[in-house]
Parts: sequence; structure tokens; C-alpha cells
Amino acid sequence: MEIQLKLYGSSKILSDKDTLNIQLPNNSNIEKVRDILTKIISEKYSKSNLENLPKTAAFFSEKDVVVNDNYKLKDKESISIIPPIGGG
Amino acid sequence: MNLHTALVKIEKEKISSEKAKKFISSEKNGAESIFIGRVRNENSGKKVTAVTYDAHDQAVIKSFQSICNDAKNKFDKNAKIFLEHAKGYAPVGEISILIAVGSGHRDEAFKICRYILEEVKHQSPIWKKEHYIDGKEEWLPGYSLRPKEEIK
Repeated sequence: MEIQLKLYGSSKILSDKDTLNIQLPNNSNIEKVRDILTKIISEKYSKSNLENLPKTAAFFSEKDVVVNDNYKLKDKESISIIPPIGGG
Repeated sequence: MNLHTALVKIEKEKISSEKAKKFISSEKNGAESIFIGRVRNENSGKKVTAVTYDAHDQAVIKSFQSICNDAKNKFDKNAKIFLEHAKGYAPVGEISILIAVGSGHRDEAFKICRYILEEVKHQSPIWKKEHYIDGKEEWLPGYSLRPKEEIK
């Protein structure tokens, strides 16, 4: 299955677009997304200071609420990655 | 109407302290507290030329409204609150955040202003990328919204 990750803040380094499509095994959860991101970052973005992102980011569902690692994803679901925030 | 919150696309529009003062103005106010945050020209020894603010728009507005309502419930239900934050490319000197509070008394006005600022930093999904004089740029570290029990 495939999900769409909406990118914000430092995660925008991961794509020229505002989104990143990720291929996942069926019935994957957020924890699996963290694993895939760790792999992508170590393979392609090792010099970009993103190594902690898979661990420190939160994820928003389509309803804009934080979901935990057990949250089961659906095919074609669109979620947002929320790197550590710092407005003001 | 006692509450105004917005994300301002800073390349198109400016955050205005005059607009904020007008919004909170009331004969019921015994105190008005205004906090203005600006992009400054230095951070950790690096010369900053500008900051780009990114934001999850819908979630930011939801968080602004929730934070302001919490502040009213906590300190003064009748307070008038104006909160705007910049989004986009903001050069040094630009207003990044403006919080204005009109309240019956100074203590509540100060407390609401401070409360909103701290909660925005810890709840609102906004990110900043600093641009430096040498042409480099960097996303700044921040506060993780990941559920604490999951961070090992």
C-alpha cells in the first residue's frame, strides 16, 4: 500500500514537493513509517542533520490530531509529519 | 467579538500593532498588554538575515483558538485577545508574533500575554528556518509533539 506524507519544517528536505509518497506493507502503522524514514534518511540524507527526525517527529492524521505509533494506516491515506516545533 | 487569531502571509501583508490596539480597545480595559516578537539579526553567534516560517495552517489556527480560550478561562473570561503569527519569509526586524490583550487589570493582562506566548511555542505547529549572511540556512530545533511515553 501507499501513503502520502505531507512535509513540514525540516522534513521538507526529503522532497522537492510538499509531499512524499511512501510504499508500505499492508496494515502498517506509524512505527513502520518511522522505520522507513530512518532508512531513507540514512541512505540519502545522511549529511542533512535529519537523523533524529524519525524519533522526534509526531504525526497528524487527516483530522489534524497527533496519532500514536500503533495507529493503523489505510491505503492512500494522507498524514502529516510534524517535526519538533518552534514558533514565536 | 473578543478573540482574533491569524497566520499572516508576511510577503503579502504585515502584522500591524495598530490593528491589534484597535481590536483590544475597550472602555472596560484597565490594562492593555502587548508583546511583539521580531526577527533578530543574530542567533548563537551566527549573523541572521531572515527567517522563513513554515506552518500547518489548520492545526495552527485550532491551537491558537484553544490556547486563547484556555487563557481566558484561566485568567479573565472577559479579556480581549489578538494573536497573529507570521508565515513565510521574514527579514530581520519583521514582526514574527504579536499578542495583544485587553483586560480589567494589569496582572491578568500580563499573565495572559505570557501564557499565550509560551503555549504557542509548545503547541502550535510552526517551524523556523534561519538564513545566514554567508548564504547558509538551517531549520532550528524545537519541541517534540510526539507522545512522551513513546520517546525512549
